[in-house]
Amino acid sequence: MIHLKKDETKTMVAVHGWSGILLGLLLYAVVLTGTAAVFAHEIGAWSAGHVTTQSAFEKPIDATVRRLAALTPAKYQDDVNVFEIGDHGLGVFFHRHDVDAKGKPAERGIYYQLDNQGRILRSVEGLDEDVFGPRNDDALSSFLVDTHVRLHLPNPWGLLLTGILGLAMLVAAISGLLIHRHLFKDIFTLRTRANPVLANRDKHSVAGTWSLPFAFILAFTGSFFSFFGTIGVPVVAMAAFSGDIEALSEAVFGNPGTVDARPVAIGNLDRVSADAVRRVGEAPTFMAIEHFGRADSKITVFHNPKTSDIEPVVLVYEGASANFIQAKPSVGTRPSVGGTLTGIMGPLHFGNFAGMLSKAIWFALGFAMCYVTFTGMRLWLVRRMDEKGSFAWLERTLTVVGFGLPLALTVSAAAFLITMPLGSSVYWTPAGFLIASALVILLSIVAPSNAMLSWTIRAATGALMLLLPLLRLLAAGGPGWGEAMAVGQPVIVALDIAFLLVGGWLVRECWRERRPTRTPEPTLDRVIEARS
Amino acid sequence: MLDRTDISSSPRRRLWMRVILAGPVAILVALTLLAGMPLWLPGGAAGIDNLAIPLILAPLIWAGLFFHACLDRNLTRVALIAAGLFLVHGGLVASRLLAPAPVVEKAQ
Repeated sequence: MIHLKKDETKTMVAVHGWSGILLGLLLYAVVLTGTAAVFAHEIGAWSAGHVTTQSAFEKPIDATVRRLAALTPAKYQDDVNVFEIGDHGLGVFFHRHDVDAKGKPAERGIYYQLDNQGRILRSVEGLDEDVFGPRNDDALSSFLVDTHVRLHLPNPWGLLLTGILGLAMLVAAISGLLIHRHLFKDIFTLRTRANPVLANRDKHSVAGTWSLPFAFILAFTGSFFSFFGTIGVPVVAMAAFSGDIEALSEAVFGNPGTVDARPVAIGNLDRVSADAVRRVGEAPTFMAIEHFGRADSKITVFHNPKTSDIEPVVLVYEGASANFIQAKPSVGTRPSVGGTLTGIMGPLHFGNFAGMLSKAIWFALGFAMCYVTFTGMRLWLVRRMDEKGSFAWLERTLTVVGFGLPLALTVSAAAFLITMPLGSSVYWTPAGFLIASALVILLSIVAPSNAMLSWTIRAATGALMLLLPLLRLLAAGGPGWGEAMAVGQPVIVALDIAFLLVGGWLVRECWRERRPTRTPEPTLDRVIEARS
Repeated sequence: MLDRTDISSSPRRRLWMRVILAGPVAILVALTLLAGMPLWLPGGAAGIDNLAIPLILAPLIWAGLFFHACLDRNLTRVALIAAGLFLVHGGLVASRLLAPAPVVEKAQ
């Protein structure tokens, strides 16, 4: 336990409150979309109706890559990235190192998108930042991830903003720990029969305390990812490599070796992927080929962490012979403190190190963080109820973001399911979100009371969630529950049930409350009445 | 423990000094540490610890400086520590940038 003096505790309470209230609404948006993005892969499979379960790396890829190489201009054949897309299809990016319009290092080449039968669906030529946009079949999961990572702001501003939000969360988590006078007592104290202010404070305190270590990890790893490329790498490169970012990347991520530019055909990629599956016990997630078609070619194969481990697995092979060279850390050529720490940042942030179990825990704790952020801002408002005239707008804003964001995300999911078969989901998924957001903001202006605004948004969200499984089945032409189970995709059924349960619960709660009176009745007033 | 500077300052002035030390000064010092630490940290077994560790620790370094500025009663001490860290690491970076031939610590 940390015991601060009275004035220091007062300072920490102020820091805790202001760090939340200044950036809390944006932080809530980032945490909520991040919570959903924990299941981005599963949401992608659910929304697009994926029925293939065999990894693209467990099927022959060698002939496909050679066929694509024959189609690709030699200028783009320096390096090749191979990875899974869509319903276990293949993405292949032939490229060379280049610079973008601002002179920053980038990769330029041709990105082939293939289905799970090896047919080319689309090919795009350009810089990496341009070719890797959302596709028609993953527009929903891409939208979720992009909202979480950079709030759809252009780089680097979006990443900088989410990085600052991560720091605000770090400050809120640490100051939250410091202001607890009775930490162990507080995590078990729930006075449900106390007045609403005390009961809400207890709920906030219990949820916040239990998720405190998680909040710290998420904030720390999240701000690391946001600042890594935008500030960290340029600053370190400036000091240690005279500003040469390529040299820094080569030192940290590269596979050093003797340069040998003699043309030698690439080894058998099927042999590499089969060997990687045998060594790790599961299919790779990514394959990077350096110096494609040269004698000094190297193939790096990336895997998720093994069961009971938290560090991702990286295997290196000789490109020309396809022979195994070594297992190495994600960063550096041999195990080291820095390499291990960098390697575990991803699994710690994404919660993907122990399959569904870790993802479910990360989702639950992420949801707890949303609750803590939302209730924290409400408590801050209630404490200032004497000044409620000046903060009434903030109460409505809190309702718009707190309940409106889930509604807008549900609308974007519905828009995706309706427009994916038409091939226009890349446009309509974000458009649906924006239209719903605009309608919620408009409603917040015309609604006679905050209670009515909250009720309407929650009822609409519940009703739409109940419709999502039907839209998936009828509009998007997705598989039924029997077919999904038969092909080994229980996640489709699980997400349908989750939407039905949450939607049903929301509608039931709203039905119980009935429609609130049309007379203005700010929630803050109700709290004051309960107190008096 | 309060020093004379702290006693003579008005509460509002002290608050603003604290805000400046916890805000822009903490950011500036954290960035300087990020640039300077690779020049003295050991490379480790893979020769990359000096590069990776400052990148990983950057958010925590900032948080440490922020909370020190918020909680230490002696603002002079906060300013001296921040200035010391800034001068040492800023000096290291300046000497590296002004050196005639860059000596880059390569990965092993």
